[in-house]
Amino acid sequence: MSFAVKAEGLAKVFGSVRALDGLSFQVKTGEIYGLIGPNGAGKTTALRIVSTLLLPTSGSVRIFDHDVLREASEVRKLISYLPEEAGAYKNLSGYEYLQFMGRFNRDDKRDLKAMVEDAAAISGLGERLRDRVKTYSKGMKRRLLVARALMNKPKLAVLDEPTSGLDVLHSYHVRNLIKQYVEKHGVTVLLSSHNMLEVEYLCDRVALINKGKIVAEGAPAELKARYKASNLEEVFAEVAGLA
Amino acid sequence: MLEGLSNVVVKEVRELIRDPKILIGMIIVPLLMFPLMGFAFRTSMQIAVESVRAMSIGVIDQDKGVYAQELFSTLAFSNLTVIRLEATNVDQAAKSVQDSNITAVVVIPEGFSQNITNDLQAKVHVYGVFRGMGLAEASGPSAVVSLVNAFSEFLALRKVGNPAKLNPILTSQESIVKGKVVSVSHSALSSLVLSQYIGLPVAIIVMLILVMQIAATSVASEKEEKTLETILTMPVGRFTILLGKLAGSVVVAAVGALAGVVGFNYYIGSYTAAFAAQPSVDLASVGLAPTLTAYFVLGASFFVALLCALALAIAISSIAEDVRSAQAIVGYFSFILYVPMIFIMYTDIGMLPMALRLVLLAIPFTHPMLAARAAVLGEYTVALMGIVYVSVFTVAVLYVAARIFTTEKILTMRLRLKRGKPRREE
Repeated sequence: MSFAVKAEGLAKVFGSVRALDGLSFQVKTGEIYGLIGPNGAGKTTALRIVSTLLLPTSGSVRIFDHDVLREASEVRKLISYLPEEAGAYKNLSGYEYLQFMGRFNRDDKRDLKAMVEDAAAISGLGERLRDRVKTYSKGMKRRLLVARALMNKPKLAVLDEPTSGLDVLHSYHVRNLIKQYVEKHGVTVLLSSHNMLEVEYLCDRVALINKGKIVAEGAPAELKARYKASNLEEVFAEVAGLA
Repeated sequence: MLEGLSNVVVKEVRELIRDPKILIGMIIVPLLMFPLMGFAFRTSMQIAVESVRAMSIGVIDQDKGVYAQELFSTLAFSNLTVIRLEATNVDQAAKSVQDSNITAVVVIPEGFSQNITNDLQAKVHVYGVFRGMGLAEASGPSAVVSLVNAFSEFLALRKVGNPAKLNPILTSQESIVKGKVVSVSHSALSSLVLSQYIGLPVAIIVMLILVMQIAATSVASEKEEKTLETILTMPVGRFTILLGKLAGSVVVAAVGALAGVVGFNYYIGSYTAAFAAQPSVDLASVGLAPTLTAYFVLGASFFVALLCALALAIAISSIAEDVRSAQAIVGYFSFILYVPMIFIMYTDIGMLPMALRLVLLAIPFTHPMLAARAAVLGEYTVALMGIVYVSVFTVAVLYVAARIFTTEKILTMRLRLKRGKPRREE
């Protein structure tokens, strides 16, 4: 079995706050793996460590067998990270933004053009891509950013709350977009969400995190069966001791 | 009609006094900046006054008559140190005088005593030695002129029986520049000094602050717009991103430096044009019109200073939470620019106590101001040393910024100027 992500004993301390407390999980190549939990559970910190932005206080992460600490530049070639509160350069047009970001991944002009066209299709923004980003609604901006994160067909896409702040229609679009893209291109996805229903729909396997630790892990159906729950929300309430 | 006013006022006051930006601004400005500026004024004025007191005058007595002797005694009777020069004319004396501490040369021409005895108007030439040492310099030669005029009035009183001779001595005013005699009064040259020591430092400071405010947004706006995290995970070196940001700002700075030199050229040009009205003066020949080399050195000095300002602003920007905080911090920095400005405007930095001089020289922005004076006087070594120092300082700042950029500190350092614990990372 090949693993896209292997995290072992991850801990991260910010001053007096222990954001991660011995987190271990493995993401298989080609699957959609979700970290779910309430605000402040440590999901974003875990994703930031995986994406080479933060250093763990202790523990290790390997991405396709590359260490995120020692081989950060190698890891950055394999991943694509979508932060929860990401923005785009407001004075660039949607196209210009995609081109700017695309140039980091593709040197060849023809490849770049194909990639940007691909992203344009994913975003579904059509002619609006010629407008400046500052004229976009929140939903449009998020679709642009999701398209940016997926356009270079990364080996691992790290998506932090991919439908963060979106209305029902935009969320629906983004979720389908991720699912279709993964099926089509075999991209591995590690995502976080506090929307349990979204995770249930998208993820092959999930880890429920609370206070920096995994409290339950498995396929959504398996977890529901294990805890005799009708949805993941109930599972979470059960394992976090809220029920 | 004004219902709810007190509610708004109370909230407003509460918000304002709880905003550290305003609080620091209110404390730093009155408690630190004004006393510092006052100190700069006081110190430079004291030094100026002392330099006038300790002033030496050289006298060339071509007359050797009784009234020449009397004028010499009058000058010596004041607080000034009066030295009888061995040279027989001012051209001979000019070079050695330039390198001494003599502020003015008084030439009493042949026939001086005879003219006064015969109730004819006698002449005295006062040559102010131009060194470009700040506004205080101008007070030296004018003090000498006043003394000669006082002597003239004294003579007039003695000869009161002769109403035609109320003005027995006519003083002509000229200058010594770079060891050469120039027929421009020292006071006219002083207005050139004025233009340099008030106009140029102010122009440099305005430009530096402007550029710093622009560059301060570079990293902070990426944080604010939430684009920084994304770009930091792209397959591109962190140092490359930093250099890219700096290089982008350099384009702006280069235009700024060019505008500075062009502006300076216009500024000097307007003074040169004013002097051109006096037919015998060619400022270029006495070396007071900047040469091509001077413009090059000046441009280089401006450029490295701008580069330094940019690097500093980008470093500040990297540790600030958002654009507003970055600009506020840069704003606090800008007051350190005013202190060297005041000193340089009024005195020669070389006359300051060693410790104070070192502090001023340690501030990189002192150097372009010094370079402006040095370039006009053709003292390129001073300007070049400044360029080297500012370059080294800039590299050091860039190194620190790069250290911040290549670690997670770029995301975790949050200078928000807000009280309270750092936000918990989710």
